[in-house]
Amino acid sequence: MGSLFRSEEMRLCQIFLQTEAAYACVSELGELGLVQFKDLNENVNAFQRTYVSQIRRCEEMERKLRYTEKEILRDKMRIPDILDNPKAPAPKEMNDLEVEFEKMDNELRQVNTNNEALKQNHLELRELKEVLDGTQTYFAVYGQDIQHMMNEETQGHEEAIIGTRSQQTAALGFYVGTIPREKVPVFERVMRFVTHGTVFLRIEEIAKTFEDPVTGDEMHKCMFLVFYQGEQLRNKVKKVCEGMKGTIYPVPESTQERQEMLHGVKTRIVDLENVLAQSNEHRKRVLSKAQKEIRAWTIKVEKIKAIYHTMNMFKVHLNSLTAECWFPVKAIDDIRRALSIGEKISGSTIPSVIQPMVTDENPPTYYNCNKFVKGFQNIVHSYGVSTYGEVNPAPYTVITFPFLFAVMFGDAGHGFIMFLFGLFMIIKEKSIGSKKLTNEIANTFFGGRYIIMMMGLFSIYTGVIYNDAFSRSFNIFGTHWYPNLTDSELRSSENIQLNPMFAHKNSSAYLIGVDPIWQSAKNKILFLNSLKMKMAIILGVIHMLFGVCLSVFNHLHFRSYIDIFVKFIPELLFLGCLFGYLVAMIFYKWIMFDASRASCAPALLIHYINMFMFKYTSPINGELCDPNLTFYKGQDTTQYIMFFLAILSIPVLLIAKPVYVVVTRRSRAKKSDSYHPSDPLIFNEVPPEDSEITLQVYQNINQGFQDDGHDSFGNGHPKEGPTNGTAVAVAHDQQAPAQSHGGGGHGHGDEETSEMIIHQVIETIEFCLGCISHTASYLRLWALSLAHAQLSEVLWHMVLSLGLTVAGRYVGGVVTFVIFFFWANLTVAILLLMEGLSAFLHTLRLHWVEFQSKFYEGEGYAFEPFTFRRILRMQSLEEVTS
Amino acid sequence: MLPELTFNIDHGYLEGLLRGFKSGILKQADYLNLIQCETLDDLKLHLQSTDYGNFLANEPSPLTVSVIDDKLREKLVVEVEHMRIHALQPLAGFLDYIKYSYMIDNVILLITGTLHGRPIHELLPKCHPLGTFDQLAAINLANTSIMLYNAVLVDTPLAPYIKDCISAEDLDEMNVEIIRNTLYKSYLEDFYNFCKKLGGATADVMCEALAFDADRRSFIITINSFGTELSKEDRIKLYPRCGNLYPSGLKLLGECDDYDQVRAVAEYYPQYKELFDNSGSNPGDKTLEDKFFEYEVHLMKKAFMQQFQFGVFYAYVRLKEQEIRNIIWIAECVAQRHRAKIDSYIPIF
Repeated sequence: MGSLFRSEEMRLCQIFLQTEAAYACVSELGELGLVQFKDLNENVNAFQRTYVSQIRRCEEMERKLRYTEKEILRDKMRIPDILDNPKAPAPKEMNDLEVEFEKMDNELRQVNTNNEALKQNHLELRELKEVLDGTQTYFAVYGQDIQHMMNEETQGHEEAIIGTRSQQTAALGFYVGTIPREKVPVFERVMRFVTHGTVFLRIEEIAKTFEDPVTGDEMHKCMFLVFYQGEQLRNKVKKVCEGMKGTIYPVPESTQERQEMLHGVKTRIVDLENVLAQSNEHRKRVLSKAQKEIRAWTIKVEKIKAIYHTMNMFKVHLNSLTAECWFPVKAIDDIRRALSIGEKISGSTIPSVIQPMVTDENPPTYYNCNKFVKGFQNIVHSYGVSTYGEVNPAPYTVITFPFLFAVMFGDAGHGFIMFLFGLFMIIKEKSIGSKKLTNEIANTFFGGRYIIMMMGLFSIYTGVIYNDAFSRSFNIFGTHWYPNLTDSELRSSENIQLNPMFAHKNSSAYLIGVDPIWQSAKNKILFLNSLKMKMAIILGVIHMLFGVCLSVFNHLHFRSYIDIFVKFIPELLFLGCLFGYLVAMIFYKWIMFDASRASCAPALLIHYINMFMFKYTSPINGELCDPNLTFYKGQDTTQYIMFFLAILSIPVLLIAKPVYVVVTRRSRAKKSDSYHPSDPLIFNEVPPEDSEITLQVYQNINQGFQDDGHDSFGNGHPKEGPTNGTAVAVAHDQQAPAQSHGGGGHGHGDEETSEMIIHQVIETIEFCLGCISHTASYLRLWALSLAHAQLSEVLWHMVLSLGLTVAGRYVGGVVTFVIFFFWANLTVAILLLMEGLSAFLHTLRLHWVEFQSKFYEGEGYAFEPFTFRRILRMQSLEEVTS
Repeated sequence: MLPELTFNIDHGYLEGLLRGFKSGILKQADYLNLIQCETLDDLKLHLQSTDYGNFLANEPSPLTVSVIDDKLREKLVVEVEHMRIHALQPLAGFLDYIKYSYMIDNVILLITGTLHGRPIHELLPKCHPLGTFDQLAAINLANTSIMLYNAVLVDTPLAPYIKDCISAEDLDEMNVEIIRNTLYKSYLEDFYNFCKKLGGATADVMCEALAFDADRRSFIITINSFGTELSKEDRIKLYPRCGNLYPSGLKLLGECDDYDQVRAVAEYYPQYKELFDNSGSNPGDKTLEDKFFEYEVHLMKKAFMQQFQFGVFYAYVRLKEQEIRNIIWIAECVAQRHRAKIDSYIPIF
């Protein structure tokens, strides 16, 4: 069975693993990535599970790695990607890793603290140097005037507060220091409020920037000079400085001493810089050692964590673990191989056991898609993951999706650009894919690269059919219209009508697509409208009929053969008789009526309406030509039959199924009593037995299961090995749910019946009304195609052809050059992007609503296997945690 | 115009965001899991599965309660600051009002700290980040309330609140308490009037909440004042005059001499009567404080019933504060292996 047509066959199995082998086995299964484990401990708290301590250790390691990674990135070192995939290390190695990380972490932290201290020191020294410099210049410039300036500045305030001027006896003291630039206004304000303006404050910005020792950020600082008088003010000033994160530096009073100090500071800075360089060197060494390994480490730790997380979902017995998992039947051999490798690695002597289970739970849906189909499968799955076993619309979508898109986007030129864009992304697939786009929109486009390419390709095709490229037509094969007109005729009037009887070569048509002569015709739109509208109906009806036909495969697969008769056939009749007939009439009209009989051509719309009103006007002599007359023999009889077939299929759709179900249920209820005392309460339960005996039995079953191949999966009767009490119990346990599942819960019949009847009514109404509205809905194919063609024509006439008509070879060239820029941009922005998106959306709708409603349920859930691949793709640890 | 019609233009985004935040508040089931924890690491593991996510992921393994406290608070602060940055008036002003209470707390914390001779740079990190402002750093200069006003509060929004208790007296613990309560009283009254002026649903919700807060303060001030040197006249000045107790209840409270008289005053108010009736100091009983908290949680949850109003922002901050108190309580119980009272947290949802 094709893997795309339906979901892969899935099985629920129990795996019994020896405790010591479990880790290696799960690791192998993670590499394989084809097994979805079920959480058997759902009601156990995260911190009460078995392997929580290991997970905690992993988190601790992660924390250290994150720290190291941050440090590496802070030093602007690159973390190299690794191509190979390191396996999850054995649990024993975890200790080694832990020790190694611990060592690295300690070393790094120590280096950092040292570095920080050194940097702090360095910062202070540099600040001191600046401060000394500043003070020196300040005193040099103002030196003697300070006392005077201060008096002037503070005079007013002091008088206001104290009343009389105080004595000048107290010596002038001063504080010098630095303060972050952003604190300056507050500092000034607070200083003023606190001292009532009795101090003399000067602030100057330091031109150099400093580096924050901890974060490494740039800091701007200002230097301040505060002159004060008296002890009390001194305290206040000091407190303010402390509070504002200012640093006060002990600057000596005399110029001489300052000079000496400055000298000393300079030498110390040089020394310190040497030490700092060495310390940085050391840090670099430590980091570069980690740099090479960190990706591998990250992956390893993540894998260990994932394994323990998975093992936390297992049930723990004495010395074995029980896992329940879904996997595709095809992969059974791979899984066995993986398990045996795991056993070998761990050196376990007792083999693990896979035992199939029967359950009434719905299996997950899994398609093994390649990257081409994946995009289309995603389109289908965005609507709903298909119910297990149902027909997958994706393979058909691969063709119908781009085709219906192209019908709306029919322009060879635009299609070609789109095709190139898609092709570009496909060719560059590897390099773009490895770069990991952060832009969500770009990611969407990249994800749909194959769809884009296909849409482009199909648009070229429909463009050729419409004979439309950037709204121009090409006359490649030569038009088949021959307007043999004389000059006088040409001059006589603006509009000349060509009669297809004489002016068209009726034996053949233009080789492919629409004849290019229509490009210059006034009634081009009328002609194309008629063509495109009919085409839309034809395509729509075919698409829907196809959908209805696909439902047969679902009925066959789910063995509800009755549905073929009560659902598929009436639906087919309804759709076919009403709309299939319309399509047939369209073809009949196209083929049977040519230019010579143009006046007799029937008005299909009127005829179709009349079909429902039973109004028929038959020709009296068969000679008269009127669009309203019946146009073929026996038309009224055919239409009566069609009409009544369609109408009669409605009650069949409505009633047959519920009646059938009720009848069968009654007869079954008579046959068997509704309750089996042997029905187990919990379906998946395995009777807890002495582990050794059970294990042996399981092995026997496993053996049988191996011998039987896939068949034993199918019917849920594992071969009973050497008969043994437990084996029977197990086998019976599996049989029972299968039975009760087949019976279909006959406990609460009445409610279900009424529910089913309501459901059936809704479904019938939905289908019948849906057929009509859906057919009309396909007219969007015509509408959007028209819109697209008109828009591109407008763009041509309003923009580019303006440039082309400007006179003059040289001027015109330049003007065209400029105007082309606008035209090209508008073409890409409006016609390709906007129109493309709108056509895409409409196609999406046509598939989701009009097509899939005919057969697709989409009530399944996706298969999410436990796999390490995700870990490999991630860039850094941050991704896991964020 | 109906304010509801235009509310979303300015504040819709933030309200939506906030309601999202609100749904991250821990549920009863989470608490049931939390109290089963054996160690703080268990606590961390469980909190990881809630809205708190990886907020503790970068902390080295032996966790302490104070680290958890810091991180919990940091998360709230980030959320509130985010909303404040994106807020337009009058919501911005409303959010500022919420922050004022933290500012008052910080001022008092620092004054008390400096009174006990602790250096300022040690105290500053202890301040609640929602209530920091630049001038706080100068607080160690404030020996008297005049100085406090002049050096610290003069150009902050708190300045008008302190005007009732400016004096040249040296600050001591009694003074600090009076300053705290005066600040808080004026703050509550101001906030109350602000909400009243906003009108509409905001006024409905907020006035009820603030009235409760005011009444709670009045009760607590009264109860705590027994046996201290606070005179009745001074005490009555500290009562916020925007609660349900104002005016007659406050007058009665002002004359109380012991707990039973306070209880007698509460008798007149059905909502408080219930709180007093169900509380007690016997083991197994809930304390009056817890009952007040419970009632507050009830009020705050009610605030979420109305849309197009600012009360939800206030309510969220209060609920989150309660949640932090709950988690810290549980964490302390776990850390000290004192599990007897571990379940006396106050469930929110």
